[in-house]
This record gives sequence, C-alpha cells and structure tokens, in this order.
Amino acid sequence: MTGQDLDGGIRMRKGFAIASLLCAATSLGAQVPADASATKRVSFANETVGKEPASFAPMVGSWVMSVDAGRKVLFIDGRVWKRGQPAGELADKARELYGARNEEFIESIKAFAYYPIAVYKGLDNFENGEISVRFQMIGGTLDRCAGILFNVKPNGDYLTVRYNGTEDNVVLWTFNNGVRKFVNRAPTLTPLELGTWHTLKISVHGTSLKSWLDDKPMHDYTLPGPVSGKIGVWSKTDSMIEFDDFTVAPAAK
Amino acid sequence: MNRLLPIIALALAPLAASAQAKPPAKCDWKTTDAWVKRQAEFFDDSKHDWSDDTLRTALLQAAGIGAALTAPVQLGVQVEGREQKLGASAAQMTDRLKALAAARGSKWPTKSVVGAAGVHAVYLLSQSDTGLARNILHRMMEAGPAESPAADVATFEDHMRLIWGRKQIYGTQFRLGAGGKIELSPMEDSAHADLRREDAGLPPLKIGICLAGT
Repeated sequence: MTGQDLDGGIRMRKGFAIASLLCAATSLGAQVPADASATKRVSFANETVGKEPASFAPMVGSWVMSVDAGRKVLFIDGRVWKRGQPAGELADKARELYGARNEEFIESIKAFAYYPIAVYKGLDNFENGEISVRFQMIGGTLDRCAGILFNVKPNGDYLTVRYNGTEDNVVLWTFNNGVRKFVNRAPTLTPLELGTWHTLKISVHGTSLKSWLDDKPMHDYTLPGPVSGKIGVWSKTDSMIEFDDFTVAPAAK
Repeated sequence: MNRLLPIIALALAPLAASAQAKPPAKCDWKTTDAWVKRQAEFFDDSKHDWSDDTLRTALLQAAGIGAALTAPVQLGVQVEGREQKLGASAAQMTDRLKALAAARGSKWPTKSVVGAAGVHAVYLLSQSDTGLARNILHRMMEAGPAESPAADVATFEDHMRLIWGRKQIYGTQFRLGAGGKIELSPMEDSAHADLRREDAGLPPLKIGICLAGT
C-alpha cells in the first residue's frame, strides 16, 4: 500500500513526492534496529499529581498528572474539552519548542482544538526508530482515543497513529495546514475493555510505518515522505485516557 | 425487524411514582445536584428555538411524550423485560427515522432541529429496532454534546453494548436475576464508573442501583 491509495485522499505535496523518491532506497534497505543506548523511557515518578507534566508540553487539552493503583500517570481529561481552549500558557510553550516560529505553530494548533496533544520535551527530532506508550481508557462519551504523535512540524502539521475505543480500531491520521485527513485504517477491529492497560507502538524506518496494539500487528504502511520532527501523545475531544511508559528508541539513519 | 429485548427507561414514569411512594433516602437526589442541573439546562426547551416544529410534534406523539419534560429526564436505569410505552404512531415514525438515517446528507433530528424533547423522543423510539438503534446511536454521538443529551447517549451505548455481546460501561442496564431480583448487567471498569457517569450527566452509580431496585 502506498501514500497515494488513501481512503479520503491525502494530498501529496511536490516536496513530499520528491522526498519520497529520495528516501525510497532507505525504505527498501534493511531496517536498522533501535539504538538501545539512546532509548528514552519517560518516568513520571518525580512529577506532581494534579499539575501538568514537566516532561511533556501540553499544547491542547487538559493534561495533568494523576495516580492509578499508586503509580503516577499522565491523564488527558476530556471533560475540559467542552470549553474548547488550548492548554494554558500555549505561547510560552510554543516559544520554548519552536523559538521564532512559535506563532505559526500556535495558529495551526488552535485549528485543532478538538485534538489534545502533549509534545515530549526530551527529543528534538525523531526520524527513525520506535515509539511506544501504554494507555488505559477511562471514559469519553464521543471518543476514547489514545494516540502516538509524531512528525510534528514547526507549523503545527503532524501525524498520529491512534486507537479509538468507540470504533475499536487503529488509524493513521495526518494533520496538514489545519485540515485533518484519514490516511489508513488497520484492518483488524480490536475491542478493548475500559480500565485495562494496553500498549500502542509504532516503528518508523524511512517511509516505512508499522504499528502494533498489544504486540498485534496493525499497520504496515508506506508514508509519502520521511518522518522528521517532535513526538508526543495525542487524544480527541472528550476522551479520558491515562498514559504511562512513554518510550522512544531512535534508530540510526 | 429485529426486535430488541423489551426494556423500560425509568426516565419519566418513576418521577411521577415517587410522589406516591418515596424511595429510600439513599436513592434521593437534589435539584441542586450537578447532574440534575446539567440535564435541566439541556432539556430547557423554553426558547422554542428548534427549526422543525412539525417533525418535533410527530416525534413527541410517537414516543408518547405528552407533557413538557422536567429534569431529571434520564436517570440511567433500564430494566430488561419491562416494556417502554410508546405512542400509536411509533412504528410509522420508526420507519421515517430509518429512511432519514439511510439518506446521505439528510437533516437528522438533533436538538437544533426538533428541540431537546424531540431528541429524547428519537432516543425512546430507537429502542424498538436494533438496526435503527445502531444508526441512531452513531448519529447522536456524532452530533456532539450540544445536540444530543449525554445521559441518553450513555444509557443508549450501554444498551447497545449488551446487545453486541459486550459489557456496559456506565452501569445503566439491569436484568432480572434469580428469584426476580433486579441486578446490574455485566459491567467493565466499575472503578471509574462514577467519573463517566458524572461526565454524562447521570447520577452516581449507587443511586442508579438503588433506583433500579425500588
């Protein structure tokens, strides 16, 4: 499957098309294993319950530290979504992440108020490797979404692979210039119980994107271009989700 | 037509009944409770700002809603095996809703179209047909909290999950157990149930269970 046979149609930019040609050799070659020494696993042990996390920059939505079974976890509280506000101190956080380009980022992010995101502060640029996160669905009347955010650009564009408990599926979405577009749905429907922990994982090698839910393969997809940008966690509208064990293992190019 | 198991939504009648036999104190709620106020706010049709009064009237008649709704409208207590009384035109309206659901781009009866009572009528009518119910649940979820009563959506989702062979998540569905005793139908993650119920504008689970048994 390629980036051109998308349900709903992803618009390939010229630059993307050229980039995909340039990196074709990379995706065809053997995949490079993740560098164990560079692996970063986020610990919430020193975070403060009830406060925003220090290790992530919440850009949209109410992301706060919570406790589950005595363990500190990152909680997206979708009940706050109805107010439709970006996270507090958005400008300061955007400036910290993207310096002079922060205004462009903010404008794009505001268009995505339905989609809470928190950007991981511990890695400036993710291109190849693996990202995983454990999540537990707590609630949400409209959505119960837990996603991995990647390819986050200074203009606010990004990609996400997410599980939605109201649809029981894993889907790759792209957000470009303020427009969200469906890219690819994993063929397997996987109902998950609320209040139970599960693991979502992606691997990126050149234009190859794979995903797993609880070690079950979901996606094996070819992106229209290589990945490069910040990473984090993603959710949607009124979802109430707990996240833990966010882990990134960058691989050599 | 694939008939659903007969159910009753203890949404309206129990309130009238409560005047005759006061439920135990632990079943009590106050009009100042957040979930009651939230329902009162949603079901306030006093502005008459819906766009299709003809359809609204037909929906209310079909669902057997004869008077203005007063909060709490949805207590989130459905007991399997008890009939919900609908109006004489229910079957006709159900067919009309089916046609609407099947037509792409049709004007679905949301709150801005038929008012809050009209949307509640759609919810009550949906319970009579599995295929229609699935469509309507998705329509109500898609419409969002401003157009669909969250308490109805939550109760509805629980009902459908049991039909689909899954466990409920809000704790709104009950069944008759051994000796005719009313018991909670299978549920997942009861630990966070009150968080979800609060978000949906339903009373705490202990009140729901208490009401189901009265």
